[in-house]
Amino acid sequence: MISSGRKAVHPWINLLRSPSRRGLLRMFGGAALSAPLWRPLLSPGSSRAADGSAERVIFFYFPDGVAGPSQNGEASLWHCTGSESSFTLSETLSALAPWQQKCLFFNGLSMGGTDSGSHPGGAKKLLTAADYGNNESIDQLLARTAGWSSPWRHLYLGAQATLNNASGDKHISYPVSGQSLAPEDDPRRAFSALFGNFTPGSGTDSGTGADGAPRQKVIDSVKDDLLELRGQLGGGGIEQDKLDYHLSSLEELEGRLTGGSGGASCSDPAVDTSGISDATIASAEAFPAILRAQTDLMVLAMECGMTRVGTIQAATHTSELIMSRFAGTEMYDPAYDMRSHQASHYGASHNRSSREFSAYLAQRKWWVQQFAYLLQQLDARPEGDGTMLDHSIVVLCTEVCDGNTHLHDNMPFVLAGGGNIGINPGRLLQYSGDRHGNLWVSVARKMGQDIGYFGDASSGPLWGV
Amino acid sequence: MLRWLLLAGGCGLDVVPGPDVSPDEPPDGTVVEGGDWYCTETSTLGPRQLRLLTREEYRNTVRDLLGALSIPVSGDLPGGQPCGTATFALDDPGMVYGSVAVAGSFNGWDAGAWPMAYDSGAGQWVRTEILGEGTFQYKFVVDGAWIADPANPDQADDGYGGANSVLNLSCTAALDLGALTANFPVESRPQGFPFDNSAAAGLVSASHADAHLLAAGAVAAAIAADLDGAVQRIAACAPADPGCDAAFAADFGALAFRRPLTEAQIARYTALIQAEGFPLAIEAMLSSPYFLYRSELGADQGDGTFQLDGYELASAMSYFYWASLPDAALLAAAADGSLLTDAGIRAQAARMLADPRARDRLARFAEQWLGAEPVLTTEKAVEFPAEIRAAMLEEAGGFVAGVAFDGSGEFSDLLLAAPAPSAALVGWYGTAGSAERGGLLGLGAVLATTAHSDQTSPVRRGLFVRERLLCQEFGPPPAEAGGVPDIDPDATTRERFATHTADPNCAACHRYIDPVGFGFEHFDPTGRWRDTDGGLPIDASGDLADIAFLGQGSSLPFSTLPDLSAALAGSDRAPACYTAQVMRLALGWQPELDEVCAYDAIRLGFKASGYDLQELMILATLSDPFRLRVSP
Repeated sequence: MISSGRKAVHPWINLLRSPSRRGLLRMFGGAALSAPLWRPLLSPGSSRAADGSAERVIFFYFPDGVAGPSQNGEASLWHCTGSESSFTLSETLSALAPWQQKCLFFNGLSMGGTDSGSHPGGAKKLLTAADYGNNESIDQLLARTAGWSSPWRHLYLGAQATLNNASGDKHISYPVSGQSLAPEDDPRRAFSALFGNFTPGSGTDSGTGADGAPRQKVIDSVKDDLLELRGQLGGGGIEQDKLDYHLSSLEELEGRLTGGSGGASCSDPAVDTSGISDATIASAEAFPAILRAQTDLMVLAMECGMTRVGTIQAATHTSELIMSRFAGTEMYDPAYDMRSHQASHYGASHNRSSREFSAYLAQRKWWVQQFAYLLQQLDARPEGDGTMLDHSIVVLCTEVCDGNTHLHDNMPFVLAGGGNIGINPGRLLQYSGDRHGNLWVSVARKMGQDIGYFGDASSGPLWGV
Repeated sequence: MLRWLLLAGGCGLDVVPGPDVSPDEPPDGTVVEGGDWYCTETSTLGPRQLRLLTREEYRNTVRDLLGALSIPVSGDLPGGQPCGTATFALDDPGMVYGSVAVAGSFNGWDAGAWPMAYDSGAGQWVRTEILGEGTFQYKFVVDGAWIADPANPDQADDGYGGANSVLNLSCTAALDLGALTANFPVESRPQGFPFDNSAAAGLVSASHADAHLLAAGAVAAAIAADLDGAVQRIAACAPADPGCDAAFAADFGALAFRRPLTEAQIARYTALIQAEGFPLAIEAMLSSPYFLYRSELGADQGDGTFQLDGYELASAMSYFYWASLPDAALLAAAADGSLLTDAGIRAQAARMLADPRARDRLARFAEQWLGAEPVLTTEKAVEFPAEIRAAMLEEAGGFVAGVAFDGSGEFSDLLLAAPAPSAALVGWYGTAGSAERGGLLGLGAVLATTAHSDQTSPVRRGLFVRERLLCQEFGPPPAEAGGVPDIDPDATTRERFATHTADPNCAACHRYIDPVGFGFEHFDPTGRWRDTDGGLPIDASGDLADIAFLGQGSSLPFSTLPDLSAALAGSDRAPACYTAQVMRLALGWQPELDEVCAYDAIRLGFKASGYDLQELMILATLSDPFRLRVSP
């Protein structure tokens, strides 16, 4: 039996492959990009170095915090102990042992702010470093600066992060102040958007023409209308931000038509999506496969030079994800539905002897293992005088410290990679309440963006990074 | 600014009211007399200026736009794949074959290039490829032997005495509306805003803009397939006629942009048609912000307010009532100025509410208001079939639309009327307890989405009533709030949650929440009746305390779920909250001031009508917040 795209869709496409590999084997052209009209450009993304390497950043988020310092005074099972150069990985972080010398660990970083005890407040502050999400997030800032010349300035991939109409306060990427974006949750759709219609150097088929020229004409016309409409808006505010962002998005598409930075290429891109179908995409059982596919896709997109700024959001805060349904893991328990947020409160007793706490610890270790997989994938790919990991900054983050107390102090961040772009990893750094906005300043600077502060109450780069 | 009803600190922390926040005072802009409340500050205008079309609005707009051009569309087919996608499948129930590949004109007849994968669930070998538009010939290579597709009757001579299968992929047939928005991102919904049309959240990312362009290209291609006919119907001329380009730019533009174009805009699009042809200009118009956003800029009234003009009002009404663009009659009322009068609005509103699109719109509103959509995906510990989930969602939307358009039309019947579950749902629900299932509180979608996977949730169900039906909001739980009490075979849910009201820290909030949620205890996590809670008797009584405002000090005890429904149906607070929910949909925005007072004038008109649901929708369009805005 045969079906066209209009008929029944078979849900079991196990291996997605690019339909236009002829195009993807080609290289990007080097046409110049127009400067943005609406925002000061800090500095355009640097081209790839002569050895083909390029700095990148990936933010990897997981929900509901960690087993930090408990309300009963028990020690954190996340934070490391020891000196800057000689320290012991915590139990939760043990999966990072192979990359201990390629990671920076932090004790004592704070997210501060007025709402210092909640999941939504933490998710808003996490990448914006500002109360109520009232700031552009660091990934979006880097997207429009360091990521500027890439065909995709930013890739925001989720795993069940928009499920069940998750509200906007559960998403961590803010292109405009106070307004988050929803991530792409379906790796099949994300793959299709990245590789399905895109032909490097000549752009995306747009229905009325096979090459990029007609689409450019359409975009020109849309930009004319956008600028005209923008002129009719009184004052600034969110409405102007919305149109500015829309303009920026169109110019990103133009960049794909006219060619991004040199060197982007990819042959026969493929991502394994076994087990992911319309029937399973919302199920807890498929979650590990979805997150794995999104991680693979992020690595692939970066390896192909399609983007250099990415955010992976695994689920959302106060998550209902039933992690006890993950087959073949320490968490697996078919007799009991253990949800992430339920486990994060150590059970009704708030006691570490509870089975909820055992599950919580196992869940947190699993998240770290997923982060370790990302590091492994990046570190397995040689690039320049090192690996992709050495040329990438990869940040692990969640919206609260201890999941039971919800506090925003001593926040659990890990910064991995970057050894060849100015990071000196393999250290444990101690702070006394320094704000995490400073960490984002440091990340931006390593990405070539000379910003002085970021968000509320940041004072400059984070000492020691 | 904190809303008053957001209890500062929440349970578990000392409730320390801020300077203008007190849990024991009525909301700003209200006074209380004799235990009831009155609003003193009633009008709150929004700052909205532009509203991006939602996916539903986009699909409906294209449907009606192409309908005006007599271009066929199809919304019934599942979408998600680009035009020209083919899925090859060969039945092999017992997996008798060792390897199967597909080879044909699309891959150079390479027997090894496209191996197929075995799907054990379907008992088939399958492979999906995007081939694009065209006619292709192919064969399957089964363990080295070349055979035609046994399921495909279309064949051609293969030149070797056998037959090739023939595949014709056309992208110019009926446009699939579902596929059109399949790659649009999901709408972001601000916390506490249940609808998909938030004005603030409508951001166009690059992937969104890409999807917009692709969809516009697909629509333009569908129009181009019958360009002469479409141009004739819109502009009464042939594309090659002198002046037809300008006429089409003006007339198609007015339809797509939902208002007449300026001379400059007409000139711009006429030039585009002349340079690039009609299809590209159509694609550009359908990618334009004038198509993708609705303008609510209005005209400066000199008093700090801006009044929507006739065309803006026409769009505001049509997207509120139909989730689609204005029709010819509505645009005519905008053009002749009649829409700027109360009588003109009322006449158009009555006409539009009689259109079947209004019924669909109200059903979609209800699904979002009641938070019913997640019933399709929410996890359950027991088998919960997809068709039952879908039937529950349909039941929820259909129930509310049915009360408004087929039944009494009165608000109270949303809580009292008997739903009409499908036969499949009746089979799922069974007959036990059917007398207890009146009104929206007994809808399967409500019961299932407000329960956990393996147990009921008095907290979620209580919050459903407080937040969605009474517009009473609670802040997030405090730091050391507990999780859900452990499942205990020796205790009922009610007993397990007793700590919430026994501990004074928890009781600060939970005394309002759990005693309402206990009323639902006879319904399990998948919406079915249960006589007992794990073998223990169920006590479904509770108290709808402080129904008018939290801290009021009132008590409203009930003994069964129908009692709770009756208490809500008889209150002024529930229809006041419903008014606020309808205004959220209408405006895509909610004020920070307590909404129930912001829309009190509308609520009073609603009450005077006997709480008539259709009349409320008309009153909404007649209101100041609908017709005016302030500076952002």
